[in-house]
Parts: sequence; C-alpha cells; structure tokens
Amino acid sequence: MSGTQLVELILNGLITGSIYALVGSGIALVYGTTRVLNFAHGELMMLPGYGFLMLAVTLGWPVLLSAIATLVLVMVLGGLIQRVTIAPLLNREDWAFQVVAATIGLSIFLQSAAQLIWGEQFQGVPYFFSGVAVIGEVRMPWQRIAILLIALLVMGLCGLVLYRTQIGRIIRATAQDAEAALAVGIPSGRVHTMVFAISAGLAGTAAILLSPLVTVSPWMGASYLLKGFAVVILGGLGSFGGAVAAGFLLGLIESFGVAFVSSEWSSVISFIFLIAVIWARPEGLFAGRGQ
Amino acid sequence: MLRLEDVSVHYGATRVLWDVSMEVGAGEIVAIMGPNGSGKSTVLKAAMGLKKPSSGVVTLDGEALQNRPATVRPQRGMSIVLERRRLFPRMSVEENIMLGGYARKAAEARETCKWVLDLLPEIKPHLNATAGKLSGGQQQMVAIARGLMANPRVLLMDEPFLGLSPAMVKTVCSIMQMINERGVAILFNEQNAKLSFSMSHRGYLLESGRVVLSGSGEEMLDHPEVKRVYLGIREAAA
Repeated sequence: MSGTQLVELILNGLITGSIYALVGSGIALVYGTTRVLNFAHGELMMLPGYGFLMLAVTLGWPVLLSAIATLVLVMVLGGLIQRVTIAPLLNREDWAFQVVAATIGLSIFLQSAAQLIWGEQFQGVPYFFSGVAVIGEVRMPWQRIAILLIALLVMGLCGLVLYRTQIGRIIRATAQDAEAALAVGIPSGRVHTMVFAISAGLAGTAAILLSPLVTVSPWMGASYLLKGFAVVILGGLGSFGGAVAAGFLLGLIESFGVAFVSSEWSSVISFIFLIAVIWARPEGLFAGRGQ
Repeated sequence: MLRLEDVSVHYGATRVLWDVSMEVGAGEIVAIMGPNGSGKSTVLKAAMGLKKPSSGVVTLDGEALQNRPATVRPQRGMSIVLERRRLFPRMSVEENIMLGGYARKAAEARETCKWVLDLLPEIKPHLNATAGKLSGGQQQMVAIARGLMANPRVLLMDEPFLGLSPAMVKTVCSIMQMINERGVAILFNEQNAKLSFSMSHRGYLLESGRVVLSGSGEEMLDHPEVKRVYLGIREAAA
C-alpha cells in the first residue's frame, strides 16, 4: 500500500466516522441523560434529509438557509417527540420496555408516512461543494472534506456547550442523577426535551451532510441507526465523548477493512469488531469518559 | 413554617404513608425516627415534591405546595440533602456546590458560596476534585454545602449520618447545630433514637408509614415505648 493510499484510507475513514460519530453521539446523549434508547433516531435522520431536499432542491432555497431551517425544524420535532411520545411514559412502572416499544412504533409510523408523502423512490441532492482538493498525490472531493470539517465543528460546539456552559452543567447533572438535579431546582423534564432536540440536531446535521452522497429515501436512517447503536456500545453506554471517539474508530476500521475485501463487507467488519469488543471489554472502549 | 397535613403516599398500588401530619417551626430541629421501611425518606420526598402525595396538604408559610413541581421549593427557601449524598459524581466539587444555587441569581449564589465555604472550610482544598472520588464524610460536607446554596429557611436531611464514621457523625451533628444557630430549620430522619432525639427540639416516631408518637426531644427519649423498643432500656418494675 502506497503512502497516498494510506492517507486516502485514513481520510475516508475519518469522513465516514464523522457521520457515525454525529449519529452515535446523539443516541449516547439521549441515553446518557434519560436512559431512553430511541429506536426512532434513524427517522430523525431521514426526515431532515427530506426537509433539506424539499427546501434546497424543490423550493430552490440557498443551501445554508435550507440547512439552518431544516435543523431548526428537526430540533423542534425531536423535542416534540420527547414531550408527546416519551415523557408521558417515564412516570410509569416498567417504562423502559414501554419506551422501546413506543419508539419502535414511532419509527415504523414515520417511515410509512414518508413512503406515503414522498414515495419509495430514492432522491438525490446535488453536491453543494464542488471541486476536488489536491494535496500532493491525494485527491479528495471538497464535499467529503466538508463533511469531516463541519461534523468536527458541530461536535466541538456540542462538547463546548456540554463542558463549558451552564446549560451543559445542568444536562450533565441530570444525566448523573435526575432526582438530585430536580431537588436543586433543575427542571429535569425540560432538560430531557432539550437533549432530544440537540440529539435530533446532530442527526439532522449528519443527514444534510450525507444527502449529496447517499440518496434520500424513507429507509435512509435505518442502517445508520444500527451503526449509531454500535458506536454507543463501543464508546461506553451514554458517553458523549466515547461515542464521538468510537464513531471515528469504527469509520477507520471499515475504511481499512474494505481496502482488503469488498465494500459490501463493511458492515460485517463493523459488527465483528463490535462483537469482539463486547466480548473483551463489555463496558465499552471509552466507558466513563465524557459523560 | 413547614406543615404536612394528612399526607398519604402510594408507590404503585402500595400505600407507604398513612395520613401523616408533621410540623417544623422556624428555627427548629425536628427529627423523624423509625425503623427501616417505615416511610421516613418518603416523608421528606413528599415534603420536597420529589414524590407526589396521593392525598393531604404540604404547606410552607401557608402556601400549598403539594401540587407544585419540586423545582419551586428551592425558590421558596426549602432544600434537601438526599440519602447517601447523591452528589453529581463525575462533576467537580465546585460545580456540585454551585448547582445547589441553580434557582438563584448568579451574584447571590456566589455570595452564598462564600458563606457556605466559611461555614465548611474543610471543602475548600477539594473544590476542583471530582466529587465521586471524595471520602463519604467529605461527600456529606459537599452535599450539605449544596443544600445550603439555596439559602434555605428549612433544610431537609435524609439519613445524614448513614455510612459515616463515629467521628464524622459528631462533625455532621455540630455542623447541623451551626446551621440551625444561623436560623435555618432542619427536618431530618435517622434510625438511631438516641442520636435523633438528643439533638432535636422535637421529634416524631414513624412506624409502618404512620406517626405513632410525637413530642419534644426530651419527651421522646423519656417515653417508655421508645426506651424499650429503640433504646433497649427496660424500666424496673415498681
């Protein structure tokens, strides 16, 4: 393998990993704060995919405006889903199973609704960054480089909010002990809603960045949901920082794996790695960090 | 000041409190004593709004609070030190303490923090430490500091001596008395009758979710039933 190929493999791994990190960190944030595993998280990726397609392609809005509007809408939707579907269940006994059932139901409902509204065809969004970056012998489309840079920027901002602001402190306090947080006056119900909104925003960012590379369809989020869960387990359940690191690691492993076998094996490689990690280190690779 | 009138609480179909009535006056230390599972912690949680009563009234200075969210209590001058400290374990001691003043303006919280650290100077060297890594006694100090950050008029303390060494129990007792001398009323629960009633102005004995006895601390200690069951003293036959 030449040095150029190696650099391209690393870059591709980081780019794929940045999407896994965006999706996985959203799931981890919700699980870490509310102990809810959101099986409808994939649809919080699919819906902004369609939202962005409608605004940027169908209506012809500028890309940046479309992206911002899509993110705002999906964050509101994420908050609403928490308020309407999940919050009413949290006071019940045995809520954990009920929430899993409710989010699976919601996922099926949203996929079916998308099929009815937009049909079953796969729809494309044009590249919003044209051209190819050339560094020495390494060539990489700007669209792919932008994915990595924007994902890093968004996750960096999230990290900054979580660890350097009062909002972040109240989210972390609620994650660590919701009743103790309530006792000092932190409205943990609202914090849960806010966390769902942020998580939806992270999924929405992934969808917008990916939409020119993969087609938008009602099933767009399904495979990323599974990868997101893998990232959450690898990173240590509920760890935001762990999920980010695990996302990049999984991307790199897939990238190096498909250098030697067919790309159709990428998911097989990911899940073999996941099983190996669960076997050797069930608490995850980065458990306890970044929670 | 703080009153609970005929408060009942259910966990699912199980009733754990039966028409409990209690009162804490301004500047008082009041103890709730009872065996394991008697509902002592539930009384405090019902007062603090962490567990909604199925019936009954909770008032603070005449304001009914039983239907208000728990988040209102710190704003009204009530806070709680939860059982087993319940700090935010992966946050720093300073973050834990400052979050205790969440309901207050930042400048007021900073002022109270100075007062709290003067009262509990043992905490100062550990402000940047991770709260979960402190010893049990140090964690209890931080939990009390966090409770005081709301500048409460009534401080609820759920089993404040649980898991502490005898020396630390003495320290926490004297801290509670210092806090009380500064005008803060304290309602706490404890399983040790002697400890509970010797340091309190008044006390309640709770059994199976019902108040079975109440009186001043001295009266409670002198009561034959308390002596026999909880202090293991048999009075000589006349």
